[in-house]
Amino acid sequence: MRRVITGNQAVAYGVILSRVDLISAYPITPQTTIVEELSELIASGRLKTKFLKVESEHSAMAALIGASTGGVRCFTATSSHGLAYMHEMLHWASGARLPIVMVNVNRALGPPWNIWSDQSDSLSQRDTGWVQLYCENNQEVLDTILQAYRIAESVKLPVMVVLDAFVLSHTSEAVEIPTMDEVDKFLPPYCPEYPIDTQEPMAFSVIATPEHFFEFRYKIQKAMEQVPRVAKKVDDEFRSMFGRGYGAIEKYGKEGAEVLLMTSGTVTSTSRIVIQKLMQEGYSVAGIKIKRFRPFPDEEIYEAIKGTKKLAIIDRNLSAGVGGIFCQELRAALYPKETRPQIFGFISGLGGRDITPSLIEEAIQYTLDHDRPKEEILWLGLKR
Amino acid sequence: MTKQLTFKSASEMPMVSISLGDMDWNKTGAWRAQRPFYENKTSPCNEACPAGNDIVNFILKMRQGDFETAWRVIKDENPFPGVCGRVCFHPCESKCNRGHFDEPVAIHALERFVSDFAINLAKKKEKLPARKKEKIAIVGSGPAGMGCAYHLAKLHYDVTVFESLSMAGGMLRMGIPSYRLPKDVLDREILDIEELGVEVRTGVSIDEHLRVDDLYSYQAIFIATGAHQGRGLHIPGEKGKGVFNGLDLLKRVNLNKKIELGERVAIIGGGNTAIDVARSVRRMGKKVVILYRRSKDEMPAFEEEVTEAIEEGVKIRYLVNPIRIQQKESLKRLECLRMELGEKDESGRRRPVPIPNSNFFMEVDNAIIAAGEEIETSFLPRGIDKKDGIVLTHTGGRTGIEGVFAGGDLASNQRTVAHAIGSGKKAALAIDSYLKGNEVDKVIQLLLIGNGPSVSIFPYLHPGERMRSSHVVAFEELNMDYFEHSARQKGERLRGKARLNGYGEVTSTLIQSAALVESERCFGCGTCNECENCYLFCPDASILKRDETLSHQVDYDFCKGCGICFVECPRGAISLEEEAR
Repeated sequence: MRRVITGNQAVAYGVILSRVDLISAYPITPQTTIVEELSELIASGRLKTKFLKVESEHSAMAALIGASTGGVRCFTATSSHGLAYMHEMLHWASGARLPIVMVNVNRALGPPWNIWSDQSDSLSQRDTGWVQLYCENNQEVLDTILQAYRIAESVKLPVMVVLDAFVLSHTSEAVEIPTMDEVDKFLPPYCPEYPIDTQEPMAFSVIATPEHFFEFRYKIQKAMEQVPRVAKKVDDEFRSMFGRGYGAIEKYGKEGAEVLLMTSGTVTSTSRIVIQKLMQEGYSVAGIKIKRFRPFPDEEIYEAIKGTKKLAIIDRNLSAGVGGIFCQELRAALYPKETRPQIFGFISGLGGRDITPSLIEEAIQYTLDHDRPKEEILWLGLKR
Repeated sequence: MTKQLTFKSASEMPMVSISLGDMDWNKTGAWRAQRPFYENKTSPCNEACPAGNDIVNFILKMRQGDFETAWRVIKDENPFPGVCGRVCFHPCESKCNRGHFDEPVAIHALERFVSDFAINLAKKKEKLPARKKEKIAIVGSGPAGMGCAYHLAKLHYDVTVFESLSMAGGMLRMGIPSYRLPKDVLDREILDIEELGVEVRTGVSIDEHLRVDDLYSYQAIFIATGAHQGRGLHIPGEKGKGVFNGLDLLKRVNLNKKIELGERVAIIGGGNTAIDVARSVRRMGKKVVILYRRSKDEMPAFEEEVTEAIEEGVKIRYLVNPIRIQQKESLKRLECLRMELGEKDESGRRRPVPIPNSNFFMEVDNAIIAAGEEIETSFLPRGIDKKDGIVLTHTGGRTGIEGVFAGGDLASNQRTVAHAIGSGKKAALAIDSYLKGNEVDKVIQLLLIGNGPSVSIFPYLHPGERMRSSHVVAFEELNMDYFEHSARQKGERLRGKARLNGYGEVTSTLIQSAALVESERCFGCGTCNECENCYLFCPDASILKRDETLSHQVDYDFCKGCGICFVECPRGAISLEEEAR
């Protein structure tokens, strides 16, 4: 079935098709319509999922932690301040190795008060032990949720599916919606690692002294290291069943291009048009979309950029005092390699300002024109 | 602790920190800095009831649909639920915490419902237990005398009540019109007392023929003869023909005696007797005007009664004081002065002050004086002190003569049915203590409800049961998250005109569904009703369900003292104290 739906509706379809048993969420713009859509379906009796009302995002995640421990597939969605409020529980979910899937609709954190898209909310949770997957369009949003449960339940780590505020959340696109039967074949029911049995009580998340704590963290790292392999397997399977796949990254444009442009989220869609235009004008350019931020796809990127001299990256986020967070990760990933391209770190579109085709073209042009960046941070579209 | 595991490597370890055994060894109770504990407390209604009814518990039983036990809970303290449910001025409702939320619980209506329900209960003829050898005489069969007799009989004493009139009941029978208190309700409750073995000797006056001294063969005497003497106005003409005393008139009405009245009747006074007289006379089809020397705010009559009187066509003229009643053939000509309010007097009400030269005249056929009642003292033996118009008593009604006790209206200026019942109960306790050689003050002190002065006899008869602390639960101690606004249930009321056709009851008893709704409105201040909030909220699963009598207890091995149970208890039945170290 093909329908014209918003990104938030695509999320709701993904949740319904994943046969989620429990949803607990607290509303926040621009996530609200996800929860509205789902709670209305539940209230009308058409969706047999339990909806647990809570007074905060912290409680929403806490509820999911309990439910997931109890062997229930569960879901929540949030944004910005809501995600920040959840922070403690995000660590708990990964520490307890619970395969929770959450959608975060990217929105800037205040002050100044702002409800528009940027990635500083999800990226400031990068060290919480969650897998993070960024989406470019509404179809990818729906598909990524289905994949996320497979990945999460396989490696026993929580997964955050991320989409841009308004540009995706509130914008309609044509989306192919798989049938329940098809999804059932792709996504089996969730079986917890340690099923709860009241006859044999166990205590979960008990204290681990310095004798053992270290090793539990090591195991989380090992689980993260499995993600590239597991995610590829899941994506391949998805592609064979539904004809769509995404990879950890996606390269497009001219082979062996002189300049590569790296983007994530909806900026990629705009970049595709700019790169096509510049190629037609005879420039040697190509683009890379980064879908998976955590664990960062070091190897996939290294393979994709071989031979490239210059790499431009646009970050729609700012880690004040450093610069763009994707750029940081990229530099760290490439540092051990023998050959590394020059990296041009652009920051643009904070707080929802449009990253227009002309801005993207300006970034590529700057990279073409310079051997190395003149500044550590290249501000794109800033009114200085 | 079962076993400390030490793993050599990460590969040996489980995925997460998990104890495959249970955590019973980990007595987290040791972390506790504060300790929650179940403690039933005193509800404000219980404390406010002069008769000492266990209101919160009888309503709790009602909520459970157990009306019979509800009735027994009231009867434990008060032999007159049918009377009180109708005529009590319900100070319990004025103190009801629900009044801070929407409207107080209609406690009187629930008490009335329960007493009416009990009519249909099959009466078990219980064999009376063996009597104690001590005999007790009670003078007066009103609520104080019969209340005292009831409790003494339950304490197995041999009780004889002396009543000067032909029927028992005192002021309940003679002073309250049947549109407020039907006679069958009173008869039933008096019969219940007699069935406990109390002998009521009617038509026996204590006077020069039979004196209190003659009763000294009894081991104790309780005098509760009430206040039946109409207080005079001390104005010229008040002894004239066609001028009646209010209480005398009510007696005649209650005894179905003929009363000759003209068309226009003036009633002088602002108390409950004045209102009762006015409403009774209205039922005879007469025009009635009440003359009261102060304003509406100072009126001692209960507001509800005043409202109902006005609905029935009674006119009230405030700030008017008759100073002379002139006889003009059969007509009475009342000379009155207009009054204004001055400074507050010793009663706390503003004193009426005559306006000079404001004299005016009113023509009526009859005047009825209802300006208060005084006690009869001529029969009292020497050694009983009097002060400010009442017999002077100590705790439990003790008088200056050993073994002689006094109560009810005779010994109090708080002249209500509930106060009389309460004083009868205190006297019963005092007499029992006296005869057992116990110190009355100590016994009464232990039985005070909250901060008193009302007492409960239940713990005296059943030590250790229904224990509660004397702390009175304030509204702020309740958790309003668990209550929703709901309207106070009311019985049907006859319309003003329909009431004038006879002496039928003005207000009906609640129907069962309404009574249940009303009982649900009770917060149950300070009394655990096993709502299980504590059990559901405890994050440490440290609330244990126990047997039926005491349903829950805190598992102190594991309770960390977070206090969530204390906060989430809707009704303040859990306390929190600092852990003793």
